[in-house]
Amino acid sequence: MQTSAMTKPSLAMSNNDARLADLLLHHEIATFNNRYAAALDELRLTDWTEMFTDDALYVILSRENFDRNLPVGLIYCENKGMIRDRAFALKETAMFAPRYLRHLIANQAVLSETPDGTIVARANYVVLQVLYDRPDATLHQVGVYYDKFRRIDGELKLAERRCVYDNLLVDNALCLPI
Amino acid sequence: MAWQHAASLNSIRDGGVIGVDVDGTPVALYRLHGEIFATHGICTHALALLSEGWVEDGKIECPLHQGQFDIRTGKALCAPLTQDLRTYAVKLEGDDILVDLDRHGEQPVAPPDKADRGAKIDNAAATAATAVIIGAGQTAAAAIRTLRKAGFNGAIDLVGDELHLPYERPPLSKDMLLGRGNLDACTRLSRVDAESLGVRLHLGQQAIAIDPARKQVVLAQDKVLPYDALLIATGGRARRLNIPGSDRPGVLHLRTVEDAAAIDRALASATHVAIVGGGFIGLELASAALSRNVAVTVLEREPEIMMRLLPVPLGRTFRRIAEAHGVDVRRRTDIREITQRGSKLGVVTGQDTIQVDAVLVGIGLEPAIDLAAAAGCATAGGIEVDAEGRTSVPGIWAAGDCALHHVLRDGRRVRLESWHNAEEQGAAAGRSMAGVARDTTAKKPWFWTDQFGLNIQMIGSISASDTVIREGSIDAAAGAIYRTIDRETGLLTGTIAFSAPDAIRQARHELDSSTPFAFDAASAVVLADDTNDPDTSASEITAMNIPLALTKRYVWPQEGLTRIPDWVYTDQTIYEREVEKIFHGRTWNYVALECEIPNPGDYIRSNVGPTPVVVARADDGSINVFENRCAHRAAEFCRELSGNAKEFVCPYHQWSYDLKGNLAGVPFRRGVNGKGGMPADFKTADHGLRKLSVTTHRGVVFASYCETMESFEEYLGPEVLGEFDATFDGRKLKLLGYYRHSLPGNWKLYHENLKDPYHATLLHTFLVTFGLLVAGNRSLMLADPTGRHGVMASAKSDGKAVASDAKKEMRAYREGMTLEEPRFMDFIDEFNSPWSVTMSTVWPNLIVQREMNTLGVRQIVPTGPHEFIMKWTMFGFEGDSEEMTRHRLRQGNLMGPAGFLGLEDNEAIKFVQDGMQRVPNGEHLVKLDPEIEAGTADSLISEAAIRAMYKHWRQEMGL
Repeated sequence: MQTSAMTKPSLAMSNNDARLADLLLHHEIATFNNRYAAALDELRLTDWTEMFTDDALYVILSRENFDRNLPVGLIYCENKGMIRDRAFALKETAMFAPRYLRHLIANQAVLSETPDGTIVARANYVVLQVLYDRPDATLHQVGVYYDKFRRIDGELKLAERRCVYDNLLVDNALCLPI
Repeated sequence: MAWQHAASLNSIRDGGVIGVDVDGTPVALYRLHGEIFATHGICTHALALLSEGWVEDGKIECPLHQGQFDIRTGKALCAPLTQDLRTYAVKLEGDDILVDLDRHGEQPVAPPDKADRGAKIDNAAATAATAVIIGAGQTAAAAIRTLRKAGFNGAIDLVGDELHLPYERPPLSKDMLLGRGNLDACTRLSRVDAESLGVRLHLGQQAIAIDPARKQVVLAQDKVLPYDALLIATGGRARRLNIPGSDRPGVLHLRTVEDAAAIDRALASATHVAIVGGGFIGLELASAALSRNVAVTVLEREPEIMMRLLPVPLGRTFRRIAEAHGVDVRRRTDIREITQRGSKLGVVTGQDTIQVDAVLVGIGLEPAIDLAAAAGCATAGGIEVDAEGRTSVPGIWAAGDCALHHVLRDGRRVRLESWHNAEEQGAAAGRSMAGVARDTTAKKPWFWTDQFGLNIQMIGSISASDTVIREGSIDAAAGAIYRTIDRETGLLTGTIAFSAPDAIRQARHELDSSTPFAFDAASAVVLADDTNDPDTSASEITAMNIPLALTKRYVWPQEGLTRIPDWVYTDQTIYEREVEKIFHGRTWNYVALECEIPNPGDYIRSNVGPTPVVVARADDGSINVFENRCAHRAAEFCRELSGNAKEFVCPYHQWSYDLKGNLAGVPFRRGVNGKGGMPADFKTADHGLRKLSVTTHRGVVFASYCETMESFEEYLGPEVLGEFDATFDGRKLKLLGYYRHSLPGNWKLYHENLKDPYHATLLHTFLVTFGLLVAGNRSLMLADPTGRHGVMASAKSDGKAVASDAKKEMRAYREGMTLEEPRFMDFIDEFNSPWSVTMSTVWPNLIVQREMNTLGVRQIVPTGPHEFIMKWTMFGFEGDSEEMTRHRLRQGNLMGPAGFLGLEDNEAIKFVQDGMQRVPNGEHLVKLDPEIEAGTADSLISEAAIRAMYKHWRQEMGL
């Protein structure tokens, strides 16, 4: 709260107005992330692709690569076309064992808002995976979303989501988006 | 006829023997009082080198079975020999010994039998009498020879219910099952012998009764043979299992040559047999089965094998040897029933049911004594005889397996079911029947068994209650010598020597001693009588050193390379052997790219096989690879994935190592205040980290535990090297990042995946739909001549070339599929190669991926039979434009654990391991492309490269 309050002195709102705006934005992002998680958990991959801007960057990369400024990602999409290609491939062509995923998103924070309307945010995430023939849900990924949001027609869209995962060793295969 | 140099004179000591090879013929040379003699080098009885034998009184004694030949004449002097030894002419020229293989050494003497027959003993009782022998076995042959030797001049009738001439039975459980023996070689009385010794043969006929009053033997169809002297040498039959199912086909006993043939046939098609009874026959059968790659489970009812016959420590010794060779010996196991399911038999024990292909029963002999008993001979589990073989009925003798031995053991008479006893008792009876006094120089009971590559001999009258001591430190292995001591008298009763024939020779004299055995003087260890296996670790240690192929679980399917058994992928012992023989063996293992450690002090953690290593660049620019394990207390000291350091310090006790792995400092090495610290002779130079051999090629770093590795170029071979160099084309590499993932499958499945172009055309939609790898594309599945490395190569087509009939076969082909971002699949031709895709598998841990413009190396780090870790290091080249780097990153979506191809491969490999774990003990079928047994294939519908890899693997693993 303190951070976001300090980033918006130019708006010259009253203290209360600024805090209310922060709260609303925070709520809007939290709602977005809830929808995002639900789309993936329910395997509505087309809905998921529509949460990005046309020029969106979507990358899942290890913390090892991220920390060392190495660009390689498990999934590396430079635009919405590639995100759609990924969704199409996963739905239509890719062979992998059926599974359920559960995305949990927390510690959400708005870091800054730039004059062009880009909102810089981050959140921690945990993705649990359940295979049909095992009793346990495994911790499939744990990491951080480094996000940039933009409003398209008033609606928040992801212009950039970099999923940086801590568990460097991927458990066999990452079949569905994070 | 030519004189050939054989040896120099001074190479033979006087009284000695040496073995030489003359023009391909093994020759034994002897020096007797300065004179040189030559004979053929191999015993006429069994395959044994006479040069390893014993020279005494002008005779050579075979090391295996104590047959003796006259060195000068080659004459066979005693049993088991029946055939003379070839001798050769010898002359001396200065210091040279010359041998002529075409000339005899001396005039050969007349054949022994004829000579002996001429030298009749004047023996009134023997003339015009008739001897009848019932039972045409080895005992009969021995008796007949002795009868004639002793001057018996009457008729001899030999009655046998087997159709064969007398033959010896020891080879039935040995050579006959190993494809080395035949009936002729076992025959102890040939047709020619029978004729020259005047024997009337009644073979295939059964004696029904003996009439001792009229002195006649009744055969079937009322045929009657009158006798003056009758020898009963009826032997016995194999004791049958008396449980439900014991009459099923596949339950086999061993007594006759036909039985041996049946077992031979059973072993030919079996993968696992059960042997009932842990006696000598059982263990010899086990040994034969194992050497034919058949797994063996021995079921023994008693707490220790052979414990009715031998003291417990000796049974334990025999068992340990069998176990060390992979025989599963189960003691205290009662068999309740034998069941059948399909072609498999189930041996139902008190604990479980063992599925086998055949059950071989070796639970002893039932002596054939009914005939003798009916004739009034005293019997007690055998026919009672005196030292000359006389039964309690006048005119009737008995010998061999059916007769009791005249010497008491543990206060009772026992039968000695041995080759030697058949010979001795047969000969004693023969002399007695001929009316000649007994040979009082009778030999001590002697027995041999050949099993698990050992020739084991026992001499003396060993009782199960004797104390056992071990001479020397060798236990349950070649060279081991044991002695048995009577508990009451302290006298030596026997000696058992494992491939140590000299000990048996010596024991002959020692056994005559009438003073108690001197425990203190001997370097002897008294062995415990405990049946609870007091020292299992010893046998486990031995087991590590034996070839795996002999052990029970690792039998390669008979079909050969077209089948791969599951244990290749699932067995912990196989995995451990792979680490030892492959990853730590004669291989170059990928460890790093040079671009990861460009500067002095740069290091990266890596692995060779499962073993963690550190790859570090020293100040002199050299690259060093050493184990990440402190020389002090084993701590894996380096924990960062990579970094830059001046030295490595183990955090536990601060031992420090330089960048080459040398031990630099040990805190408090001299102690404190003159107390404590390392010993004065401690040298840091002796306690560095374990260092590996290192080589680099085109910026790629490899390490090896082998210190004498060939160059990397030689290791790859020209063809695979060519493809390697096409990818690493001299441009400097630029690191783009890593993927790491675990994969719950055996590490070799990953190699196979990339030697299996068949799957690529079927599993991967992306490859197929976008024409990257399609049946019909120009392609190659290269295997290097050793079979270990491979390159899967393909030239991209546009996908329109896919014939419609081929499309139908390909589940993965999606008509009309398009990408919103087609740039992703562009191939920018930057390599000097006809191929747009090459996947090189560099044995044992590297894959070089050049999938159009996405480049990477994948390092396999096995963690066990069921899992490995894969580390992908993705790279581009220095000088790549930003757009080119982005192109490589975009195309990277094909690869890694989330790649369109990569995730499918990982899942498929997991499925394979799941299948093996959940439906175990099966086989994989790799038959595609039968025209190429193993090697390079130009068809994508081929598994020839997988077969090539297993050809190599089996060689490295000794399987």
